[in-house]
Amino acid sequence: MSELLKVEALKVYYRLPQGVVRAVDEVSFSLERGEVLGIAGESGSGKSTLAMALAGLLRPPAVIESGRIIFDGLDLTKLGEGEWRKLRGRRIAVIFQDPGTYLNPVYTSGFQVAEVYEAHRGGRASRYVELVKDLYRKVKMADPERRVHSYPHQMSGGMKQRVLISMAIAEKPDLIIADEPTSALDVTIQAEIVELLKELKSETGSSIIFITHDLALLLEIADRIMIMYAGKMAELGRSSEIRDNPLHPYTRGLLSVLKPERKQKLASIPGSIPSLIDPPKGCRFHPRCPMAMPECSRVEPRTVKVNGRTVSCLLYEG
Amino acid sequence: MSLLNYTVYRLAQGFITFLGAFLLIFLFVRLLPGDPARLIAGPEALEEDIQRIRAHLGLDRPLYEQFITYMASLLRGDLGTSIKYGTPVLEEILARLPYTLALAFVAEALAVSVAVPLGVLAALKPRSLVSQLVSVLAVVGASLPVFWTGLMLIFIFSVELRLLPSSGAESPKHIILPSATLAFFLVGNLARITRAAVMESLSSNHVVTARAKGLSFNKILVRHVLRNSLIPILTVASVQLGALLGGAVVTETVFAWPGIGSLLIDSLFFRDYPLAQGVIMFTVGAFILINIVTDILYALVDPRVREILWKAA
Repeated sequence: MSELLKVEALKVYYRLPQGVVRAVDEVSFSLERGEVLGIAGESGSGKSTLAMALAGLLRPPAVIESGRIIFDGLDLTKLGEGEWRKLRGRRIAVIFQDPGTYLNPVYTSGFQVAEVYEAHRGGRASRYVELVKDLYRKVKMADPERRVHSYPHQMSGGMKQRVLISMAIAEKPDLIIADEPTSALDVTIQAEIVELLKELKSETGSSIIFITHDLALLLEIADRIMIMYAGKMAELGRSSEIRDNPLHPYTRGLLSVLKPERKQKLASIPGSIPSLIDPPKGCRFHPRCPMAMPECSRVEPRTVKVNGRTVSCLLYEG
Repeated sequence: MSLLNYTVYRLAQGFITFLGAFLLIFLFVRLLPGDPARLIAGPEALEEDIQRIRAHLGLDRPLYEQFITYMASLLRGDLGTSIKYGTPVLEEILARLPYTLALAFVAEALAVSVAVPLGVLAALKPRSLVSQLVSVLAVVGASLPVFWTGLMLIFIFSVELRLLPSSGAESPKHIILPSATLAFFLVGNLARITRAAVMESLSSNHVVTARAKGLSFNKILVRHVLRNSLIPILTVASVQLGALLGGAVVTETVFAWPGIGSLLIDSLFFRDYPLAQGVIMFTVGAFILINIVTDILYALVDPRVREILWKAA
């Protein structure tokens, strides 16, 4: 396997009047071709901001403060809008969370998918109807012949998500960023969509970055998992390692939440995610950490390698 | 097919609205204090002459009888005879109509072609000078009296620069100043609405999707931003056009423009019932038609509206 993407010390800040929000703070990781990397974390952990940064879709006040994103030898942080346009939809595609609002209500679904071809191959979108029907068959859309002419409001949430997936896989991109692709769907539809993504992955060979707050889902489909907390990477490891031998106390907390048989009542990690304008000093997790030591409130943990695994926690330093 | 059904349905509905409005107009015009017979006869007239004129005009009959007579002649396409001019009302209106239509459409077209680009630019750069200009125009344009704007334009372009005629309607050049005056009044409001609509579209998620596809900026702007901003713009523009078709009385007076508005004022001052009725009916009809056209345009712009409206039909 060869490396497709390398993110080095990436910082994405929101410059707001109230202060600077450090949504993504010194995050580094890499992605192999054909690999599925899961990114898990609570709301506000910076995972969606990271996704938008990787797709070049950040909007002010969000800016890439520093760091590099090397995609197939190209530093994405230095790209102009024109170069990004050639990349987006063709080599890097995104599947968004809420398929309802991410489709334009005034055009047919088929037209909106065909726009991907129009953007990268030229000509009118209407030329590509047959290709769109093929895509709809690939994503197991019911009645593709009719659905290309349907408007979003005439389709269910699951169908609309299949439309967005069709857009993403249209040009067989190297990288698909799936930002909570199942969170807005019913549980049964979620399972279908996850199954579909797995199939498509083995078929297209695309690398996938799968972002979700659902760690159980990632344990099932991801090759490796990165756990994010308050804009920082807490831990990165193979799914099996994360499941069987979590290093970071936050990861352990997340996993214990998944195993309700150990406690009668619904488990949770006490406290809530901190403000990213004024994060806690030292380790950002220390106010909620059951294993916090005195120095955790003073010393910011570095990212260290432990037996080939990556973790940011003072327990594993020195 | 559904479009045709819907249009027919709306026209039928509009006709019923029109009849209702017609009854109200008939009554309200007659409720105005004053007597046309007395105005025609003059202040020195004998009471019996006035009675004779009144009988001649049919004004001595009970209201319901007048109404039936009027309806009957209306069905024959006869709007009655103007009391003041002695000519058929339809003839009077048709003589003025082209001027009103021309002024209304030119003014609105001018307003739209300035306001929409201005509003879009302002939305793309909310902190720019253009955006501030839109805010200023919205207040200034709507609060400066039309007659003042008109007189200023006459002063600059007719008196000082001697470029454009100040009154009358003899040549195409004559329409420039009155339509510019009206457009100045309309442009600010329309630009402000455009800016708000475009800003809202710009921030919607489907625009992120459009960017994620790799579409060019122009295609995103036209297809995924402007198209989705059209409904509020259409709404305001059509209301403005409707008001203009009712006659821009002040502007017509300032520029001696021979439109419907000045005809209406004349007829009301003279208690010229048939003429006043005719003009108001025309105005009501124009409003109803514009509403129908606007709803059809909504349906063409937005498939969700289309579904709801065509189900209603």
